[in-house]
Amino acid sequence: MNLEFLERKDFWSGAMLIVIGGGAVLIARNYQFGSSLRMGPGYFPTVLGAMLVMFGVYFVIQGLRSGEKLTSSWSLRALIILPLSLVLFGLLIDRAGFIPALLALIISSAAASTQSKPIEVLAFAVFLTAICVIVFVWALGLPYELIAGIW
Amino acid sequence: MDLFNNLIFGFSEALSLQNLLYCFIGVLVGTLIGVLPGIGPLGTIAILLPITYGVPPVAAMIMLAGIYYGAQYGGSTTAILVNLPGETSAVVTCIDGHQMAQQGRAGPALAIAAIGSFFAGTVGTLLIALFGPPLADVALKFGAPEYFSLMLMGLVAAAVLAQGDMVKSIAMVVMGLLLGIIGTDVNSGVQRFSFGFFELTDGIGFIVVAVGVFAIGEIVSNLGEAQERRVLANKVSHLFPTLQDLKKSWGPILRGTGIGCFFGVLPGTGPSIASFSSYMLEKKVAKNPDEFGRGAIQGVAGPEAANNADAQCKFIPMLTLGLPASGVMALMLGALTIQGIQPGPQVMTQKPELFWGLIASMWIGNLLLVVLNLPLIGLWVKLLQVPYRLLFPAIMAFSAIGVFSVNNSAFEIHLTALFGVLGFIWMRLGFPLAPMLLGFVLGPMMEEYLRRAMLMSGGDPSVFITRPISLAFIIATILILVVMVAPSVRKQREAFTD
Amino acid sequence: MTFRSLLVKTAGVLLALTTAAAAQQYPTKPIRLIIPFPPGGSNDVVGRLIATQLSERLGQQIVVDNRSGAGGVVGTELASHAPKDGYTLLVISIAHAVNPWLYDLKGRYDPLKSFTPVAILASGPNVMVVNPGVQAKTVKELIALAKKSPGKVGWASAGVGSFQHLGGALFELQAGVKFLHVPFKGGGPAMIDVVAGHNQVMFSSLVQTTPQIQSGKLRPLGVGGKKRSAILPDVPTIAEAGVPDYEATNWWGIVAPAGVPQAVVDRLRKEIAAVQTAKPVLDAFAREGADIVQMTQPEFAAYMASEMAKWGKVVKASGMKVQ
Repeated sequence: MNLEFLERKDFWSGAMLIVIGGGAVLIARNYQFGSSLRMGPGYFPTVLGAMLVMFGVYFVIQGLRSGEKLTSSWSLRALIILPLSLVLFGLLIDRAGFIPALLALIISSAAASTQSKPIEVLAFAVFLTAICVIVFVWALGLPYELIAGIW
Repeated sequence: MDLFNNLIFGFSEALSLQNLLYCFIGVLVGTLIGVLPGIGPLGTIAILLPITYGVPPVAAMIMLAGIYYGAQYGGSTTAILVNLPGETSAVVTCIDGHQMAQQGRAGPALAIAAIGSFFAGTVGTLLIALFGPPLADVALKFGAPEYFSLMLMGLVAAAVLAQGDMVKSIAMVVMGLLLGIIGTDVNSGVQRFSFGFFELTDGIGFIVVAVGVFAIGEIVSNLGEAQERRVLANKVSHLFPTLQDLKKSWGPILRGTGIGCFFGVLPGTGPSIASFSSYMLEKKVAKNPDEFGRGAIQGVAGPEAANNADAQCKFIPMLTLGLPASGVMALMLGALTIQGIQPGPQVMTQKPELFWGLIASMWIGNLLLVVLNLPLIGLWVKLLQVPYRLLFPAIMAFSAIGVFSVNNSAFEIHLTALFGVLGFIWMRLGFPLAPMLLGFVLGPMMEEYLRRAMLMSGGDPSVFITRPISLAFIIATILILVVMVAPSVRKQREAFTD
Repeated sequence: MTFRSLLVKTAGVLLALTTAAAAQQYPTKPIRLIIPFPPGGSNDVVGRLIATQLSERLGQQIVVDNRSGAGGVVGTELASHAPKDGYTLLVISIAHAVNPWLYDLKGRYDPLKSFTPVAILASGPNVMVVNPGVQAKTVKELIALAKKSPGKVGWASAGVGSFQHLGGALFELQAGVKFLHVPFKGGGPAMIDVVAGHNQVMFSSLVQTTPQIQSGKLRPLGVGGKKRSAILPDVPTIAEAGVPDYEATNWWGIVAPAGVPQAVVDRLRKEIAAVQTAKPVLDAFAREGADIVQMTQPEFAAYMASEMAKWGKVVKASGMKVQ
C-alpha cells in the first residue's frame, strides 16, 4: 500500500478543512436552521461548514493523486514553547502581576530559539520589562498591578 | 468665499499655542499606541478622557482626534517592520510592507506609508470641510440591503487577494467567515460555537486572530528555518523612495484615498474594509500583479492612504449628525457632552470655533505626523539590526501586552496562543492568511445585514434589486465575477482547441 | 480538642481584630473598580466619573478595569471571586438584574447573594422616540398605528437582552402591541437606522438620545421615568401618555464581593454620598439626563431584588433568550 500521500500538503490541507468544516456543521445542528428566506442562527454556519468540507474533499483527492510534499525543516520546540509561554503569561498576569508575567514570557519564549544565550536573555528580559512598565503602565496608564498587591 | 473664511478662522483657532500643543501630544500618543499592537485608540481615549475635563473643549477634542488618526499612522510601522499589525487597519500593510522590509526596503515602505497617509488625510479633511453635511445624508440612505450588497461585492473581489493557489484562498475566506460567526448571533441572541465560554459570547477579537496568525505563527515558522536566518536583511539600500517608487505609488495613493473616503463616510463599515478594498483594487489594476505579496510598493501606498482617509471621514457622521460610526466616535461624543456641548448639526453654527478648529487641526496633525515620522525612519530601520534571537521575544512581549490590553482578558491571551498554532499550520500547508482575515471581518457583518434585510422586508429577497443603491452594487458584483471568470474560461477554451 | 478549638477561636478573634483595624485605615492601597462593559458605554462613563471624584476623597488611586463580555457577566463573575477586602469594587447597572434571566449563571455567581450592595449612584430613564417621518405624534397614536399593522412597525434595539430591548418588550407587553423587533450591535447603529428612517421606533436611553431629539432628527413620544425629565420638560411620561404602569429606568450602582467588612462599606458609603452631591458630578449627571439616587443599604438590596423580579417577567413573556 502506498502511503506517500501522507507526506503531501494537499492531503493534510483537505483533512484540516474537513475536520473544521464537519465539526461546524455538526455543532450547528443545535441551532435553528430556518429557510433561505427566513434564516435561523444555524443557516450560515451550516452552509459555510459544508463549503469547507467540499473544499476539503477536493484537496484530499488532489493529495491522493500527487502534489507538493511537506517540507521538513520546522521546529517542534518553537511550536510547543511559544504558545505555552503565552499561556504562562495569561496565567500569571492576574495572579502574580505584570512584572513576573512579562519576565516569565520573555525568558520562556527565548528558550524556543537554539541561539539564545542565558545571560543575554536575562539581561534583555529585565531591560525590556523595565521599558514596558514605563510605557504601558506609567505612560499609557494601563490598569495592571506591577507585582500582585503593588500597583 | 465662505469656506475660505471658515478655514482661515479654523486655522487661526488651531494654531494657537495651546491647541497646537494638544494636537502634538495627541498625535504623539496616537503614534505610540498605533505602533504597539492591540492597544487601540478606544482604550487610550477612555483612559485619557478624565484628563480632558479640565481642558477647554476645542483643545480636548483636538487631542482626542489626534490620538485617533495618529494611531492609524503608527499602525503601519510595526506591520512593515516586524509583520505585526499594530492596528486592525494595518493588516494588509503586512503583506507587501513586510516583504519590502525583508528586501532591505523598509525605509521606502515607511516613507510611502507616511506620504500616502498625509495625502489622504489632507483630502479627507477638505472633504469634511466642503461636503460634510450632504455626505452624511447620503450615507444615511444605506440600510441593511445596501450594506449587504456592498459586502457581497467585497467578498467576491476578495478572490483577487489570492496569492498562489486560488482555491486555497477562497477556502480561507470561508474559514474566516466561519470564525467570524463565533459568538452571540445578533438577530436571535443564540450563542454559537461558544463551547460554554462566556468569554466567547462577544466573538473572537480581531486583534487576537491577527496577532495570533501573523505574529506568533510567523515567529514559530521563522524559528524552524534551518539557520534561524536573520529575518530582516542588513543591506539597506536607501531610506527614501526612489523616483520610480513615487511614480508607481501616486496612482494607488489617489485611488486609495477615494476608496477610504467612500467607506469612511459610511457608518456601518469597519476600519479594515477600506484598506482591504484598496489592496484588492491595486492588485487588479497592476501591470504585474505577480509582484503583489513579494514587496510591491503599490500594496503599501494604496491601503495606507485608504485607512487614513477612512479614519478622517469617520468624523463626518459624528460632527454633522452627532451619530457615532464607531466606538471611538461614541467616546468622542461622550467627551463633547461632558464638556457641556450637545453634539449634532448645530455644533457647526453654534460652536464654529470647535468645528472649524478641529478640522484645521486635523490637517495640522497630519502634517505633524509626517514631520514626526520621516526622521524616525532611520531609527526604525536601525531597530531591525537587532538580532532575531532578541527581536522575537520582544515581539512576543508586545503581542501579549497588546492582546491583553484590549479586554484585560487572560482568556484572549490563551486564544491567541491557539491561533498562533493554527496560523503556523495554515502557513505550512500553504494557505494564505490575509483572505482569512478579510472573511473574518466581513462574515459577521454580511450575515447581520443579510438577515436584517430579510427580516425587515418580511422575507422578500427582491429588496436587494428594487433599491437602486443595492442594485448598483449587485450589478458591479456580477461584472467583477465576469471579469474574473472570463480569462480563465478563455484559457480553458484555448487549451481545448489546442 | 479543646485546645484546638481554643486555638481556632483565638485565631478567629485575631483575624477579626486585624481586619477591623485594616478597615479603619481603609484604603491603604489602590482600589480596583471593575466595569463589566467596554469603554464608552454608560456604565463606563458613570464609573469613571465617580472613580475620579471618589479617589480624591479617599486619597487613594482608583484603577478602572474594564472587563467586558457576555452583557457584563464576565466582569461580574470576576468581581464575585475577588478578595472580600474592599479593594475590588464592581459597577453594576440594570443588566445585573436581567442577566440571570438571559444567561445560565449556575455555579458562577448569584446576583444578590454573591455581592454586598454598597451604594446606588444614579438612574436614567429611557425615551420612546420615532423617526420624524412617522405619522404618530403621541404614544396613543403609535399604539393605534401598531395595532393597525401588527408586526410591521420596525423597532430597533441595541441587541437581544439590552436595555433598549427590555424597554420595548415591556411596552409591547403593557400596551398590547407587536412591533417588528430589529436588533443591532449596540445603541449607536440602532439609532442611526431610526434617524435614517429604515426603522421607525426605538426605546433609547435618554442619555444617548438628547442630541438627536434637540436637533429634530428624532421625535420623542414619551419618557420612561416615573416623572418627566428635566431636560425634556415638554415630553410626557409614557405612563401619562397612555400606558399607566410603564416604567423603564436604567440605574447604576456599586457593589463589593459579599462579606466585605461593614466598616469598609460605611466608609465608602460616606464618601460616595459626598461625591454624589459634588458640583461636577451633579452637573455631569444633569447634562446627561440622569438623576442622583440615594438609598440605604437594605433599600438598595430590595431595589435590586424587585428589578430582578420585574424584568424576569418581561424576559419570560417576550421569549428573549441569549443561550
